[in-house]
Amino acid sequence: MGVSRANAASRAVLLAALTVSAGTPFVVLGVTSAAGSWFFPAVWPASWTGDAWALLAGSLGSATWASTAIATSTAALSCLVGWPTGRAIAALSGWRRHLAAALAFLPVAAPAIAVGIGAQYFFLRVGLAGTWAGVVLAHAIPASGLASLYFLSVFLTVDLRMEDEARSLGAGPWLVLARVTVPALRRQVAEAAALGFLVSWSQVPLTLLVGGGTVRTLPIQVFSYLHAGEERYAAAGALLLVVPPMLVLGAAVFATGRTEVVTA
Amino acid sequence: MRARGRATIGLVAGGLVAAPVLIGIAYAGLAAVGLAGVGRAGAGGGRVFRVLGDPESWEAVWWSVRTAAAATAIAAVAAVGVGLAFRGQARGHRAAHLLSVLPLPIPHLVAAAAGVLLLSQSGVLARLAYAVGLINGPAQMPLVVGDPAGVGFVLTLAWKEFPFLALVTFSLLATRGPAMEEAARTLGATPRQTFRRVTMPMLSRGLLPAIIVVFIVIAGSYEAGALLSGSHPQPLPVLTYERYLDVDLSRRGDAYALTLLGLVIGVTAVALHEWARAWSDDGG
Repeated sequence: MGVSRANAASRAVLLAALTVSAGTPFVVLGVTSAAGSWFFPAVWPASWTGDAWALLAGSLGSATWASTAIATSTAALSCLVGWPTGRAIAALSGWRRHLAAALAFLPVAAPAIAVGIGAQYFFLRVGLAGTWAGVVLAHAIPASGLASLYFLSVFLTVDLRMEDEARSLGAGPWLVLARVTVPALRRQVAEAAALGFLVSWSQVPLTLLVGGGTVRTLPIQVFSYLHAGEERYAAAGALLLVVPPMLVLGAAVFATGRTEVVTA
Repeated sequence: MRARGRATIGLVAGGLVAAPVLIGIAYAGLAAVGLAGVGRAGAGGGRVFRVLGDPESWEAVWWSVRTAAAATAIAAVAAVGVGLAFRGQARGHRAAHLLSVLPLPIPHLVAAAAGVLLLSQSGVLARLAYAVGLINGPAQMPLVVGDPAGVGFVLTLAWKEFPFLALVTFSLLATRGPAMEEAARTLGATPRQTFRRVTMPMLSRGLLPAIIVVFIVIAGSYEAGALLSGSHPQPLPVLTYERYLDVDLSRRGDAYALTLLGLVIGVTAVALHEWARAWSDDGG
């Protein structure tokens, strides 16, 4: 009896700690983004201002647009690369599959700064440095690796016998892909696209190196505000950065709750 | 014949995805020995030896490895603790799962921004400490942002990576746990024995691939290091970038040697991860 009460109490404390841990960054960023004068040791701002959020019509708005366009393109590109790659690796067995999976994992695991420095020369040579297309291609390096690994796990688990049925009914490979496989894996494609979007959306070093300061995505804008000590603007931008990831997480939790699947 | 063709396609596809990094490694390798890149000085291993002989390089490697290990360990212990405390399906347990996973998709940059605002000497924690009389001014607040030890970096990244490890822990406990534990209990194991001999080994084995991923991510993180670390020693990715932009052209080339160091750590971690995953799957 005493033990279970102690357990219940420690669980309550832990739950409170988790609430504080999950909520604090949002509160701190939210208050900072609207704080006028807020000098030490004031626990609460002395005045408020909306000037950081007014930047939605200026630098933060254009950066959000740049990030959205670049992340959407990266998502599409990484799915186009990841689907066939994951499928081809899934057809392997034994050491070959391990080696191919390790190769696909390399761009995900290599430090982005190292990938960027290694690749920058080629982006400069072909004239893609400092362009949106170049930044998309650079982001697609880690995003394609991740999408390949994701589709590898998909193709290792899904049952594709319906493809054989479609083929036996006379459908060609493209028709099978467009009318059978892709529609059947709609949810998985959406998840892979979401992953690719998020890899690009939060990317800093590759954008710095390949974008060369001219492609101002939202993370780059927030990063430079932080360096300049513009905490209010940085906090507003940081909160904007959290919106798409939270939407994706919400959708995933919703889908999980509906299908009662435990994500592995 | 068809099987062999398939084997080639899969390996080629994996190789193509890795190609930008492999080419980057080759290019950085050539540049590091002075055959390509900025500050090219003709063939020779002098630059590599200079960078490898520079204590600053190894301080950066050690800083990155040490802080990544510490942050990963803190996140893993917290994830296992929370996972074991909330194994049920009751409302409180579900709430704990949701709260643990909530910060999962927050970008490193946002975590680092919040870390700076919260932990710096005039940050929110310092203000709260002042308000309750623990300190008399910002200078008395322990320096954890921009400190040589990297305490703020470790705390911020541990917080950032805890949700991922918690998610994997919840999943392991829900899927692999019950059957194995029940089997152990049926065979006469006490709850304590079951915990020590079944639950914990299952968790450590199942978590290892995720732990390696978290270590790689933290060790390779540029933006969090750039915002939370001090100027000496610097995290390896930050030192690499600063060398790359050095006004002294001859030092710019050093960035390639540092890039190789970072890639060596990355490749080692990938190999470890593949091995850990094979091992973990065997044990599952």
